Amino acid sequence: MAEFLLPAQKPLITGNKTPADVTRDICHALEGRPTPLWWGGFLVALALLLLGALAVSYEVATGIGTWGVNRTVGWAVGITSFVFWIGIGHAGTLISAILFLLRQRWRTSVNRSAEAMTIFAVMCAGIFPVIHLGRPWMAYWLFPYPNTRGPLWVNFRSPLVWDAFAVGTYFTISLVFWYLGLIPDLATVRDRLRGGFRHRLASVMSLGWNGSFRTWHRYESVYLMLAGLATPLVLSVHTIVSWDFATGVIPGWHATIFPPYFVAGAIFSGVAMVLTLVLVARKTMRLENYITLRHIDVMCKLLLLTSGIVAIAYATEFFTALYSTNPYEEFAFMNRAFGPFGWAYGIMVGCNVLTPQLLWFRKVRSNLWLVFPVSILVNVGMWFERFVIIVTSLHRDFLPSSWTSYRPTPIEIAMLLGSFGLFFTLFLLFCRFLPVIAMAEVKGVLHVGHQAQVPGSERHPAQRPLEQLQTAAVRTGEGGLA
Amino acid sequence: MDSGKTPQYWKSWEEGPGAADLVQISTDEFPEPLDRPAEQFSRRSFLKAAGFTAAVAAAGIGCSRAPVEKAIPYLIQPEEIVPGVSYFYATTCGGCPAACGVLAKNRDGRPIKLEGNPQHPVSRGGLCAVGQASLLELYDSHRCKEPQREGKPATWEEVDRQITAQLALYRNAGSPVRFLSGTISSPTLNAEIRKFLAQFRDARHIVYDGLSSSAILDAHKDTHGERLLPHYRFDHADVIVSFDADFLGTWISPVEFSRDYAAGRRLDAYPPRMSYHAQFESRMSVTGAKADRRIRVSPQELGDVMVRLAGRLAHLAGAAFPLSVGATDQPLDASLDDLAHRLWQARGRSLVLCGSQDIRLQVLVNFINDVLGNYGSSLDLERPSQQKAGNDRELQALLEELRDGKIAALFLHGVNPVYDLPNGDALAEQIRKVPLVVSFAGRLDETSALARFVCPDHHSLESWGDAEPVRGTISLFQPAIHPLSNTRAVLESLAIWGGQPKAAYDILRDYWRENVFPQRKSDTDFQTFWDRAVEAGYAEAPSAAPKPGHFRAATLQAVPKPARAGGEFSVVLYPKVAMLDGRHAENPWLQELPDPISKVTWDNYACVSPAAAQRLGLKDGDVVRLEADSGKGSAAALELPVYVQPGQHDQVIAVALGYGRKATERFASAGPKWLFGGPDVGEDGRIGKNAAPMLILAGGSLQYVHDGVRLTKTGRRHALASTQTHHSLTMPQNVPLVGGEHREIVRETTVSALLAEAGKPSPAPPGKNGLWPADHPYNGHRWAMAIDLTACTGCSGCVVACQAENNIPVVGKDEVLRHREMHWMRIDRYYSGDADVDVVQQPMVCQQCDNAPCETVCPVVATVHSAEGLNQQIYNRCVGTRYCANNCPYKVRRFNWFNYVRNDRLQNLALNPDVTVRSRGVMEKCSFCVQRIEAARIESRRRGKPIADGQIQTACQQSCSSQAIVFGDLNDPNSRIARMARDPRRFGVLEEFNFRPAVNYLAVVRNRDYADRTSKEGQNHG
Repeated sequence: MAEFLLPAQKPLITGNKTPADVTRDICHALEGRPTPLWWGGFLVALALLLLGALAVSYEVATGIGTWGVNRTVGWAVGITSFVFWIGIGHAGTLISAILFLLRQRWRTSVNRSAEAMTIFAVMCAGIFPVIHLGRPWMAYWLFPYPNTRGPLWVNFRSPLVWDAFAVGTYFTISLVFWYLGLIPDLATVRDRLRGGFRHRLASVMSLGWNGSFRTWHRYESVYLMLAGLATPLVLSVHTIVSWDFATGVIPGWHATIFPPYFVAGAIFSGVAMVLTLVLVARKTMRLENYITLRHIDVMCKLLLLTSGIVAIAYATEFFTALYSTNPYEEFAFMNRAFGPFGWAYGIMVGCNVLTPQLLWFRKVRSNLWLVFPVSILVNVGMWFERFVIIVTSLHRDFLPSSWTSYRPTPIEIAMLLGSFGLFFTLFLLFCRFLPVIAMAEVKGVLHVGHQAQVPGSERHPAQRPLEQLQTAAVRTGEGGLA
Repeated sequence: MDSGKTPQYWKSWEEGPGAADLVQISTDEFPEPLDRPAEQFSRRSFLKAAGFTAAVAAAGIGCSRAPVEKAIPYLIQPEEIVPGVSYFYATTCGGCPAACGVLAKNRDGRPIKLEGNPQHPVSRGGLCAVGQASLLELYDSHRCKEPQREGKPATWEEVDRQITAQLALYRNAGSPVRFLSGTISSPTLNAEIRKFLAQFRDARHIVYDGLSSSAILDAHKDTHGERLLPHYRFDHADVIVSFDADFLGTWISPVEFSRDYAAGRRLDAYPPRMSYHAQFESRMSVTGAKADRRIRVSPQELGDVMVRLAGRLAHLAGAAFPLSVGATDQPLDASLDDLAHRLWQARGRSLVLCGSQDIRLQVLVNFINDVLGNYGSSLDLERPSQQKAGNDRELQALLEELRDGKIAALFLHGVNPVYDLPNGDALAEQIRKVPLVVSFAGRLDETSALARFVCPDHHSLESWGDAEPVRGTISLFQPAIHPLSNTRAVLESLAIWGGQPKAAYDILRDYWRENVFPQRKSDTDFQTFWDRAVEAGYAEAPSAAPKPGHFRAATLQAVPKPARAGGEFSVVLYPKVAMLDGRHAENPWLQELPDPISKVTWDNYACVSPAAAQRLGLKDGDVVRLEADSGKGSAAALELPVYVQPGQHDQVIAVALGYGRKATERFASAGPKWLFGGPDVGEDGRIGKNAAPMLILAGGSLQYVHDGVRLTKTGRRHALASTQTHHSLTMPQNVPLVGGEHREIVRETTVSALLAEAGKPSPAPPGKNGLWPADHPYNGHRWAMAIDLTACTGCSGCVVACQAENNIPVVGKDEVLRHREMHWMRIDRYYSGDADVDVVQQPMVCQQCDNAPCETVCPVVATVHSAEGLNQQIYNRCVGTRYCANNCPYKVRRFNWFNYVRNDRLQNLALNPDVTVRSRGVMEKCSFCVQRIEAARIESRRRGKPIADGQIQTACQQSCSSQAIVFGDLNDPNSRIARMARDPRRFGVLEEFNFRPAVNYLAVVRNRDYADRTSKEGQNHG
């Protein structure tokens, strides 16, 4: 991992941490008692999860009729949330795999939590396709397996089957990738514990890691390979999810732009969710030195970039529709923006295109009280983007006789809240029981011994107050070589 | 023990004297002392218990089975009953007095479907929504199960004894006895009633209809000297002018009229025919929607318009016309000139009719028809119709007698006067005071609940009987099932009370032997005649024809000019296709049937024209209060939700009759009940509001127009469950750029445009030259459907037929509000134009596309294409992703959102055993009645003959009275469907997307020789 760092490069990790500091800082959260803040968040998340579980149980026991969907709008909040959560997951893989291959070393501070987010998001996403079925107990029929019904296979022409494969693969690879990255850290946790259940568990889970050169060598090879494997998934999963719509005949769905549009949207929403999470984690778990303003800044820029791509996609869709002279297509898009669900379209454009434009300003990017709401709004906007695509395309399709409206029932809202409950419950448990920052990787990017060369620093940086240091870091980044 | 010769020495007690015990004990495998304490848990008991527990646990876990239900096979097979084979019995529909012929499809001893009887001379194969749905009423668990005395169940003996005793008193005292019934066209029942009433000195039979045509009969009494209803022959008419008569929807005999009307508009016939139809009406009716020329007139103006038309025709005919034609009204005059000209050109081949209950107007119509020489061709007085025989004058007289408390005994048959007459509450009080009230109602309605005795009649499918809808054509009722409960035919009840008990079958047969048989046409013995009549369901027996006189012009009366108070409305009360006068209000199929025009289910409402709604600031669902304080002593008020109805007269509010029945409270549990589900009934617990208090019974006729009604807003709202939310093919104006664009879903043309295009090669059906080889070769049959939109009236008989055939559940109002109705067949209705709207009706079923978008997206292959072109839905395999429904461009797929209510086990007997009852979570849709295709295939295999064209009839096709639907094999070039697919009018919906639908539509043709908007568009698009 050792790599030559230019002296002018500002440190990724501030606070002049030694490797021992890192271990202590990160493991501290695991070893102490949870803070009241954690408890508060956990209980709220758990309550939401319970609410969602109740709603799902009621729905499964009673029927899809407990949703607001109807004969024309067959999918709504359920599939919207599925696509939303799958999209969220993408940023994790992007950060952990693609940025790894691109040698973006700043990723080390956020990749662990981003990957955890991926896994939890895919878990949330995976629930929806099952519970939205009329007969969820038959969900396993979506997988091809030898059976006594003929054997009767699945329909390989159906995008929903591709979905099942794509999401299944994605979840497996993400889980393995995440777990692999955890092994050195689990070994650290193991070594710090003295006996007890957690020690035994950490021992088993760390697979006998001994930190030898050979162990490290094999670990890094496998990690690189898995990163290579995971990279195409970033593109493939949401491409396939977009085919659920793009292969349909419904105006507003049937568009070749969907794969890149969905992938960009997914990364956009995922980065926004990572931002939301790390901003919270940074503050509540006192990880300011590890997740620095620089990390936030980089992610804001990523957000700005993907927002631009998404905006171009919105514009292209409209252009294509109006240029097509297909009256159904034209109507679908004009109705999307100006029809009964125009408000949803407004939320979508407002949150996804207009709000991120604030991030052009460095002052906004460095003001966490502004970045945080922006990241939340992007998440809201991206949920509505999927809602707009699904519901507004369906509700007024070919035959005007079949046009309907759609209004979610409390059951659907409870399920959506429940998915957030599940996500945050899992994430908070993760914060509590696993190292939220990849210690092994962060140690590789520490600026041990470099600080003295940073111009204008006579004293050891550790002796300076933290705030001053941060400002200095930002200034140096700004001015370049002085 | 052997009592042997040598003594046997015993070694132990058991071997010797105790041996008897030992023998007994040793038969048990393990001898045990009998005197062991009961509480002791022995080793054997323990093993037994342990073994049992293990076995039960294993059985419970491994193979829990339903309790054994023994199916007992027939030891002696009843004749004609083969399990799984359907038999058809020809009988007559009891849904309304029109008496259409039906074939009751019987399966395992119970009727499961009614089909129109194609041989029946009146209905000729069609059956309306009410007829189709009347099957469900047979299995209604709310019917009276036994006679009742003063609201309590009684026995027939008890009831008979008391009624007979009381009648004997009245017979001796000469007290007035009245028999009040709806139209009874049954000669046998009429004879029986006459015989029964003949015992009394003061007895009368009074007939009235909730939907009265009394004025027509009275007018003929005036003009022709006989009180009769002409038999209208629309097939003999080339020009039809209707003044407010909804003859395709609800007027007199709609099935028959639709059939005849369609026969006059057959473009594929040789020679092609296209009658001209003009409709003057104030509300938008099913008939008006079909008209070539529809003119909105208020009910007050109707007389004036008719006078002016009559004046023009009299002028053309050179006949004297005593009435003054009055001032001119330029735009209307041009239309009337044109119309008079057309009528005059087609004299003797035209038909003018009027639905008004104003006798003066009916006399005018008789004058017009007489001038045109239509009597004898399109109006038959020799063999008049008997489908409406009500006499409102006599009804009025009866009500006066009731008011004066003069009547001693009142018999009620087939009527519900407390509900369907104005001042029902007062009438209820008066009926309560009548010493003896006997009702024959099969269920407790508003009136029969007041009766001292309820002597329930059979359902028409349980009884013997006859009906004579048209003089000389007698239709037979034969039972298709043994009576389900302890009911008794009216014929029998009357015979018993008359002192000559006899079975209904014998009464009927004897009547036929004595009265019908002598008038037979063919020379047979009675048994053969009877057998043939029962087999065919009817007999032709021309009786002595009435000899109506000629038209007497002196009877013409002046019609007063319309005088209208400003800002006030006229309320027009009309029957809906499904609900009629409310007698079928307890039928959930009919309640859930979307109205052909408004598409609203489960409610009645105040139809207001768009202009009036805009002026008053009213929207659909705003509850308004209608108050009528006419000087006629009735101050009726109604609170109803508004429905904005295009094509309605601006001064008119139309309200449907037949709603607000007390019995509809049962529908509170019609739909699935869940946490956030809404109510299925209105605030008062009923379906809709009773509009009967707005009726006026005055001047010898029951009138359906109430003038001078004030409308006030209440500020409340009542959601109307409509199955359609956008009503035109034009895109909504509030969507920029594309608003106002027209979608070519339905093609329309005119006769002149069609003639101009004649001879040009018809466009070939698209999609023959695909890039890839065809996925489906269709080597054998290729099933397809054609729907002639020119013939379709939107009457919705097919919708209910489909519901009955395919076990489609009722979902209740709340679910319809959530747009989750389950009908496989729907009829899309679109308006075009502004104030004078045109209407098109487009039946929409699964289009069974060759390139079906639903098939590719189903992940579990639950919807697949058959080798014969059917798009098949496999319920067992469906997991319910609803992807197919989303991707269906026609939105014909229906999802089982819940397990729908099927609690009524009796009603479940109406289920078709050939069709799966779907559980929740699966998708369903029109199957082209695949069970009928398979039945025909089995039959053809059995006979070794190929399936003939027309052998398979889908349920919708079978029931269509105007024969708009044709089903068949497209691979057979000589089939009817193949010929229709070559028709130049043919088009496929959304064909440009290459879905290749198997349903071919034939364009709507209007008989217009002026180029209108749609025809211009049609030409532009080629």
